[in-house]
Amino acid sequence: MTHSTSRLKLALLSATLACGVALAPLSAAVAASEAVFVFPNSHNGAPTLNPVKTTLDTLAHELIYDRLIEQDADQTYHPHLAESWESSPDGMLWTFKLRQGVTFHDGEPFNAKTIAWWIPKFAGTDNDYLVAAVDKVEIVDDYTVRFVMKHPDANLLYNLASGFMGVPSPKAYEAAGDTYGVTVAVGTGPYKLDHFTTGVETLLIRNEDYKWGSELAANRGKAHIEKLLLREIVDEAASYLELKTGGVDMVVDVPNALLSQYKSVKDVETKALPSYGIFYMPINTSAEPFTDLKVRKATALAVNQEEIVSRLYRGVGKPAHTFLISSLPESKINPQFEIRHDLRQANQLLDEAGWKKGPNGIREKDGKPLTVKLWTQGDTEFKRMTEVIQAQLKAIGMNGEIGVFDVSSIRDQYKKNQHQLAVRSYGWNNADILDWFLSAERQGYPNVSMWKDPKGEELRKAALTGSKTTEERIANFKIYHEYVLSQYPVVPIYEPDRTLAYNKTRLTVPEKIRGPKFTAASIIDTKVND
Amino acid sequence: MADYVLRRILALIPVFFFVTVVVFMIVHLVPGDPIDNLVRIGVTPEQKALIAARYGLDQPLYLQYWRWLTLVLQGDFGSAIVLRRPVMDLIRENIGYSLTLGGLALCFSALVGITTGAIAAAWRNTLVDKSIMGVVLLGSTVPAFWLGLLLILLFAVTLGWLPVSGAKHWTALILPVVTVGLGGMALVARVTRVSMMDIGRQDFVTLLHAKGVPAWAVQVRHVLRHALIPVVTLLSLRIGLIVGGSVTVEYVFARPGIGSLLIRALGQRDYPVVQGCLLMLAMAVMIGTLLGDLVQAAMDPRQREESR
Repeated sequence: MTHSTSRLKLALLSATLACGVALAPLSAAVAASEAVFVFPNSHNGAPTLNPVKTTLDTLAHELIYDRLIEQDADQTYHPHLAESWESSPDGMLWTFKLRQGVTFHDGEPFNAKTIAWWIPKFAGTDNDYLVAAVDKVEIVDDYTVRFVMKHPDANLLYNLASGFMGVPSPKAYEAAGDTYGVTVAVGTGPYKLDHFTTGVETLLIRNEDYKWGSELAANRGKAHIEKLLLREIVDEAASYLELKTGGVDMVVDVPNALLSQYKSVKDVETKALPSYGIFYMPINTSAEPFTDLKVRKATALAVNQEEIVSRLYRGVGKPAHTFLISSLPESKINPQFEIRHDLRQANQLLDEAGWKKGPNGIREKDGKPLTVKLWTQGDTEFKRMTEVIQAQLKAIGMNGEIGVFDVSSIRDQYKKNQHQLAVRSYGWNNADILDWFLSAERQGYPNVSMWKDPKGEELRKAALTGSKTTEERIANFKIYHEYVLSQYPVVPIYEPDRTLAYNKTRLTVPEKIRGPKFTAASIIDTKVND
Repeated sequence: MADYVLRRILALIPVFFFVTVVVFMIVHLVPGDPIDNLVRIGVTPEQKALIAARYGLDQPLYLQYWRWLTLVLQGDFGSAIVLRRPVMDLIRENIGYSLTLGGLALCFSALVGITTGAIAAAWRNTLVDKSIMGVVLLGSTVPAFWLGLLLILLFAVTLGWLPVSGAKHWTALILPVVTVGLGGMALVARVTRVSMMDIGRQDFVTLLHAKGVPAWAVQVRHVLRHALIPVVTLLSLRIGLIVGGSVTVEYVFARPGIGSLLIRALGQRDYPVVQGCLLMLAMAVMIGTLLGDLVQAAMDPRQREESR
């Protein structure tokens, strides 16, 4: 009996070890010239790789297609498929000199005819606003095109640098018809599409002929990584565990809540990406007591941005004192308009507005307590920040009652105009975000502040459509931005750092990340270690 | 029997229409607007209204329902609003993953459940029986998503034997199959054990023992064979859960499938996709139940008579 038990144990142990040995190599990372990246969560679920029709541009779009112009992290513009450009003084003509010797993955040449075919393709799509100001494209010579404008568009360079403006191969595009972007995607970019499954993965193969990298990359030739598998993992914890166990080599957008866990993993290095968004608190300007400017200002001054960064985020990221990300020139406003914590002034303003502190520390006016609805969405990060804001509002005698909704439901609730305060965030690197969230035409959602101000509308229109040049647009948006902040429809809170995490034994990532996000320029400079 | 089959199929028709109403209303009563997930910064309210009109979302609900039902009856689930592709294509792309996971989980439930149930019955009231029943209790009470996370921590993170997530390699199926299958396995094991114990008390078993038939042969050849009738019925009723039984598990293991598609579409309020997936899951349960009933009727003629 003893012998048979021992034999059984030995057999079980052997079987277990055999399983382990057999399975272990299968869960290890991929071969040397390949890498596996996890998409940023915001890129998940893109239904098509057709840049003209997609409503979600992803890392895969960035790698398959090149754009005429590239944008850097400091929001400056740099040549790529367009070697140079100039606009007429009235902003009605834009001339682009195109790079020569560029070919698509299918061998077709890139030239002026490509652009003349490509721009009209946007008509009638959801992306047509990007080139809506372009009346027609004239071919000046084989490598020069001229955009004749319907009206000046000072945002044209920004639009042309957008991820949606990757140039597809006309031949492949026309041949594939409606299936373009699903079964076929052909650009001039550093990677060719091998296969793509929505919500699962995109496999890219290096373009061996690539020699027209933008000046944002140190390597202007073909990428170092031969095969790149981009995986879509919705669950953030699963992405973390995949990197920890070597199942993937890089997670492109690490959630702040898991940053310390990532940093604690041996062999994992983290790198800050340019910031791309703001957490903020819209104040419903149409709901009592926030119809009173003094109450709005007091609420804004109660928010302690520095405390949120230091206590909630342990110093990662920046306090936001304006509504725009700090790399935008339109965020460089007169400091007197910046919204900064001032508890004494906040209390004084509420006293002046007639809200007196009651016995329990909560203010009252005409027998009504200063109790307000403070809404947010269900994600952990939002809930934690809202709890901190609730505590900060209590310091001025305001009682915030937290309400939590899922992302889609909360938008419907805003449209019903039953909210007062909310904690939200956005990701965008253009000053026109002010128009999106504060235009009187969009009250409810996205104008959660329900802000409708005649002077604000006038300044908004001047900034958005009345600017002929980039400089003029920046100046106009600065004026609008300052006016917005002076009226306190929103309270800027936090400008998060975005972070990528990678296995440093597998990859060498360039020291400086160029571009507004982790884009093709940084990926073609990334190497797989020997 | 043909009469019975026809009657059961006809009975499903009103159920189907009732299900379409419930699915449609559930989706549209939940707050949220798919167009908010579709439009990007810069779109004017007029452009947004045009997009809503393009998908018929500006029409009264009963008209939207009628249009959708007409399409469904033609075998078309319409086009996804946010995902921008025919819903049928999206379902076709994902259903293979769900069927593989659900099918293997059902096989796991059947094989492991019957084996452990039989062992527990054979050694009833011993440590073996108690241990197996302990695992069974655990399997039937622990939520699948939590069990999935525990298995990932043990087999993927600590031991490093299996991948954390994905569907790239067959090894990525092991943990999800165990996670989904454990609940069914627990049920099958309990039914097998009880059934074997019931059969074991019958006179013919005593007779077999008296005739000197070896104990293992009595248990395997006679008791287990008879005890499997309720187990087969139970398994056939679980066929309907093959597609829909792994929604949360697909999410935990970052696997593609109908569940992952449904969760993503729900978040985006992509009505046609949610409707298509829910209808698909409901139809799988209806067909599974029908198959279960037919198997039961084939094995037990009394049921066919009772339903007359």
